[in-house]
Amino acid sequence: MARVDLEITRRQFFGAGLAGAAAIGTGRGPLAMHYPDPPWFATGEVTTTYNYCDMCPWKCGIAVQSVDGKVIKVDGNANDPKSRGMLCGRGQAGVSFMYDPDRLQSPMIRTGERGEGKFREVSWEEALDYTAEKILAIKEKYGPESLAIFGHTTGDFWFTDYFAQAWGTPNAAKPSSSLCLSPRDEACSLTLGFPVGGHEPMDWDEIECVAFIGSHVGEDSRNTVMQDFVEARNRGAQIIVVDPRFSTAAAKADHWLPIKPGTDTALLLAWVNVLIEENLYDAAYIDEWASGFDELASHVKDFTPEWAASITELSADQIRATARVMGERHPKAAIMPGRHTTWYGNDSQRMRAVFLVNSLLGAYGRHGGMYFNKSPFLDSYPHPPFAVTGSSGGCSAEPGEEVSDELPLGPSGKARADGARETFLRGATAMQELIDPMITDDPYRIAGLMIYGVNLLNSVPMPSRTIEALKKLDFILAVDVLPQEHVAWADVVFPEATFLERYDELSTVPYKTPFIQMREPAVAPLYDTMPGWMMARELGLRVGLDAFFKWETIEEYLDTRLRSVGSSLEKMHDAGGVIIQEGKPYLEDFGDESPFLTASGKIELSVADLAEAGLDPIPVYEPTEEPPAGYYRLLYGRVPVHTFAKTQNTPVLSDVYQENELWINEDEASALGYGNGDRVWLENEAGDRTGPIKVKATQRIRKDAVFMAHGFGQQSEGLTNANGKGASDTKMMSRYKLDPISGGAGMRINFVRLVGGG
Amino acid sequence: MASAFLLDMSRCIGCEACVVACKAGNELPQGRQYIELIEQTSGTFPNLTGGFQNHRCYHCADATCVAVCPTGALFKEDGLTRLDRDACSGCGYCVQSCPYGVPKMSDGRSSKCDACASNVGGGGSPWCVTTCPGKALEYGDRDEILAEANSRVAALKDRYPKAQVYGETQAGGLGLILVLPDDPETLNIPADPPPTPDVANLWKNWVQPISMGSTAVTVVGLGVLGVMARKNHLAEMREIEENHKTTVSTGSAEGGHDDA
Repeated sequence: MARVDLEITRRQFFGAGLAGAAAIGTGRGPLAMHYPDPPWFATGEVTTTYNYCDMCPWKCGIAVQSVDGKVIKVDGNANDPKSRGMLCGRGQAGVSFMYDPDRLQSPMIRTGERGEGKFREVSWEEALDYTAEKILAIKEKYGPESLAIFGHTTGDFWFTDYFAQAWGTPNAAKPSSSLCLSPRDEACSLTLGFPVGGHEPMDWDEIECVAFIGSHVGEDSRNTVMQDFVEARNRGAQIIVVDPRFSTAAAKADHWLPIKPGTDTALLLAWVNVLIEENLYDAAYIDEWASGFDELASHVKDFTPEWAASITELSADQIRATARVMGERHPKAAIMPGRHTTWYGNDSQRMRAVFLVNSLLGAYGRHGGMYFNKSPFLDSYPHPPFAVTGSSGGCSAEPGEEVSDELPLGPSGKARADGARETFLRGATAMQELIDPMITDDPYRIAGLMIYGVNLLNSVPMPSRTIEALKKLDFILAVDVLPQEHVAWADVVFPEATFLERYDELSTVPYKTPFIQMREPAVAPLYDTMPGWMMARELGLRVGLDAFFKWETIEEYLDTRLRSVGSSLEKMHDAGGVIIQEGKPYLEDFGDESPFLTASGKIELSVADLAEAGLDPIPVYEPTEEPPAGYYRLLYGRVPVHTFAKTQNTPVLSDVYQENELWINEDEASALGYGNGDRVWLENEAGDRTGPIKVKATQRIRKDAVFMAHGFGQQSEGLTNANGKGASDTKMMSRYKLDPISGGAGMRINFVRLVGGG
Repeated sequence: MASAFLLDMSRCIGCEACVVACKAGNELPQGRQYIELIEQTSGTFPNLTGGFQNHRCYHCADATCVAVCPTGALFKEDGLTRLDRDACSGCGYCVQSCPYGVPKMSDGRSSKCDACASNVGGGGSPWCVTTCPGKALEYGDRDEILAEANSRVAALKDRYPKAQVYGETQAGGLGLILVLPDDPETLNIPADPPPTPDVANLWKNWVQPISMGSTAVTVVGLGVLGVMARKNHLAEMREIEENHKTTVSTGSAEGGHDDA
C-alpha cells in the first residue's frame, strides 16, 4: 500500500468536501437514487430462452436472459434436473465467453504456410465450396474413410456423428473417449454390460458412504455433483478420498488416503480382500446377481492390506478401516467411477477393480447405491441408412450401446484405422491412434481432417507428432469459436456461433429421471458466424448427401423429433425448456428381467472375454514406472473456473485465474531453492520445455509428484488472455501408454523436472 | 428489518461460482472481484486440515468504512453496507480502515459488495446466493438467518466439535453470518475485529452531520477535517492498516490513493 502523502490527502479532502456540499438538501432517497443507472431488468423487455451450457461437457440446463438483443445473464434452469437453478463459475461466464472479442469472426482460407496463421477472409459460399471440393477430391482418390473427423463439446454431433456416418468414415473420434472416459466405460461394460454413461449414477439422495479415487469434487466444478456431494455429506454420509494431493474434496473427507500415484489397483484389491475376508460384502446380492465370485475370492486371498500398504505407501490400518466404513454401509456405499480415467495404461483393469468393489457392496440398482440410468425416449429424424456405423463414443454416447465383434466397414471396405482389435480390444475410436496413420499411411492413408472444437495441440499427447501429421495432410478444416493454437494449421476456418446464439441438437440425458434439454438462441449469431448444424448441412448438400439433410430449417428438424414425445419447440419452451421422463433406477423396476446386459445377464466378476484375449480376467496390480531421480510424476487436473482452453481466454474467467500454478511439496521446493510465486520451466525426459509457471509450494501434495491445471500454456497470439500463460501439461507428454483393453492413452507416465528461476 | 447473508463454510466447496456470478453479474472491471477464495492449510503432509477463506464484505453494523466515509457514499441500509460509487470521492479511507480489508479502489473509487443492491431491488437474491451449488449461501431476514445458523451449528457438532456461528456480535453484529466448522483463525478470520476508532465515530456522528447542515458549516467542517486528516486520522488509519495486514490477506494489487 502506498504511503499517503499530505498533498494528496489534502486534494482528496477538498474533493470530499465538495461532494458533501453537493449532496446538501437531497437527503437519502430510495435505492434508485444511490444507483442512478437503472438495473438491467428495467432497461427493456427481458426475454428468457432455454439452453444447455457449453462451458464444460456436463451440459447443465440454463435459462438465458436478454434485453434488446443483448445477452445479460445466464443462470441455472430451475426445471433442469442437473442444474436445479444453480450454476458453476464457468457457466456464469457464458456471457463473457460469447462476447469475447477474440472470437473468430469470418470464414477464412489459408494464404501462408500451414502453422503460420495467415488467412484471407472469404464468404461462406467460398469457404463451403472450397471445403466440399477438397474433401470430394480425397474421397475420389483414397475413399471416404480417408477423411478423419475429430469433435469435442456439444455440437460435435453434427460432425463426428451425423456427417461422419452419412459421409462414410469410421475415423471419427472424440478426446472425451480415449483421452478421458474409455477405460471407465469399457470396464463397466465388461463387468455390468453397459457403460457408466456420462453422469455417474450415484444414488446421492440416500447414499451413506462415497469413495473418490482421483476425482476432484469442487475443483472440477461439476455442478450437480457438487450439489449432491454437499447435501449427502451434510446428511452425514462418510467421505473417503484417495488422492496424492490434499484436494478440496480431501479437505472435506472423513478419510483421506494420500496414495502413491499409480498404485490404486493395489488398494482396490486390498479393499476387495477385506470385504470378502471380513464378510462385509453383500453375499445374497452376489449370489443372485454375480458370477465368478469363487475365482475372485481366491484371486485376492494374498492381497491383504499389509501387502497393499507396502505398495501404496498407505497404512494397512487405514486401508482396512476404509474398507470397513464402506462394507458396514453396504449397499448404501460405492466408489464414484469418475470421468478422466486415462492415467497409466492399465486403466481398464483399475476401473474393473472399482466396479468389483461396488458389486461386492451390492450397490447396483439399490437405494443409496448406484441407480441404473436410462436414456430418454426420443425418435431420430428420419434419414436413409448411414454409410457406416460410427464409434466415436464420448460424453454423448448412450448406455446400452452394443459393441459388435466385427468392426463396421466404410463404403470402400476399410475399417477404423486406429488399430482396434489389434493393439487394443474394444471401445470407441481412439483419437490419438489416428495420428500415426496420418504420418505413416498405415493401415491406409488418412488425407483429410476436420477438427470441430478439439483443442488438438493441447489435448492429444505427443503434440510434436501431431504437428508432423498436420504437415502431411492434404486438407484441414477447423471449426471453432476461438483461434485456438491448432487453428493456425488449418486450410479453412469455419467460425462457429456460440451455444447462446444457435439452435442445436436436443440433449438426451441418461439419468434417474431421463430427460431432454433444448438449445434455442438467445440472440442472432454475432459477426459472420454460423451454427455447426448449418455448416454440416451446407457441406452435406455440396457433397451429395442431400438425402440426409432433407429438413429445410433446424426448427423443422427439432419439431419432428419432439413430436415423438408429444412436444414441440414451442411447447418445450413453454414447459421450461426440459422434458422429464420416468426411469427404471432400481432392481425392483426390472421385474423378472436382468438389468445387467452381459452375455450371462450377471455381473461378471471374472471376465472370460478378457481371458480369451490373453488378458487378466480379474485385475492384478502392475507396477507403474517410477520417476527417475530429480524428476516428478506430472499429475494434472482442473481448477474450478476453467474447463479447457476456451474458458482460459474467457475474459471474466481469465481475470479470476489467469495462469496455472505448479503444485510441488513445500519441502521439495525449498530443497530445490524455490519458493511460492517463483517462475520455473518444466522439462521432461525428452528435453521438451514448457513455461514459465508459478511455483505453488504447498504441504498439500506428496513429494514424488507435481500437479497443475490442464490446458494452459497455449501458444496462439489470437488468444489475448490465454496466450503464453502458464505451462502446458500436454507439451510435457512425450509419450503415453496405450490401455490394451479400451485404447485409452495413459498420460500420467510423464516425468518433469524444474529448470531455471529460483 | 435487517437483512443478512448466511455463509456456511461446512458447505462451501470452493468452486468459485459465487466469485464469477458476482463478477459477471455486477460487470466488475478487470482485476476486481468482490469475493475471493483464499486457500487455507494447516499442518504438514500428510497430517493436514484446510479449507477456504471465502473473503467478502462482512456488512458490519458498526461499519468503520461508513464511519470514515467523508461523503456518505458508504451508508447502512437494511442492515447492509451499501456503496453509492457516484458519490465516492476516492479518498480511500474505507480501504485503509476496514478491519477485514474488504473495500478496494477500482477506477479511482471505492468498490465492494453491496449485496447486489439493484438486483435485490428487483426482487431477487444476490447473485452469489442464487447460483451457489453447495447451498452454502442464503440471504434473508437477519433474525431468521441467525436462527438458521445456530441450528446448523448444532447439527454440525458431531463432525465438528468446534463448530460455531460468527457474526452475531462482531463489529456490532454482521450482515454476513458465518457457520464455521472451526475457530475463525483457522480460516484467517479475526475472532474479534478491531473496533471502529473513536476519532472516526467523532467524524461520523458529530462533524459530518453538522457539515451536512449548511454550506457555511461545511466550510468549518472542512477545516476540522483538515486538521484531523493531518494530525490524528491518518496515524490512526495507518495503525489499523498495519494491524489488519497481519491478519487478512488482501489479494488485489490495486493500491489506494495514488490514482484518486
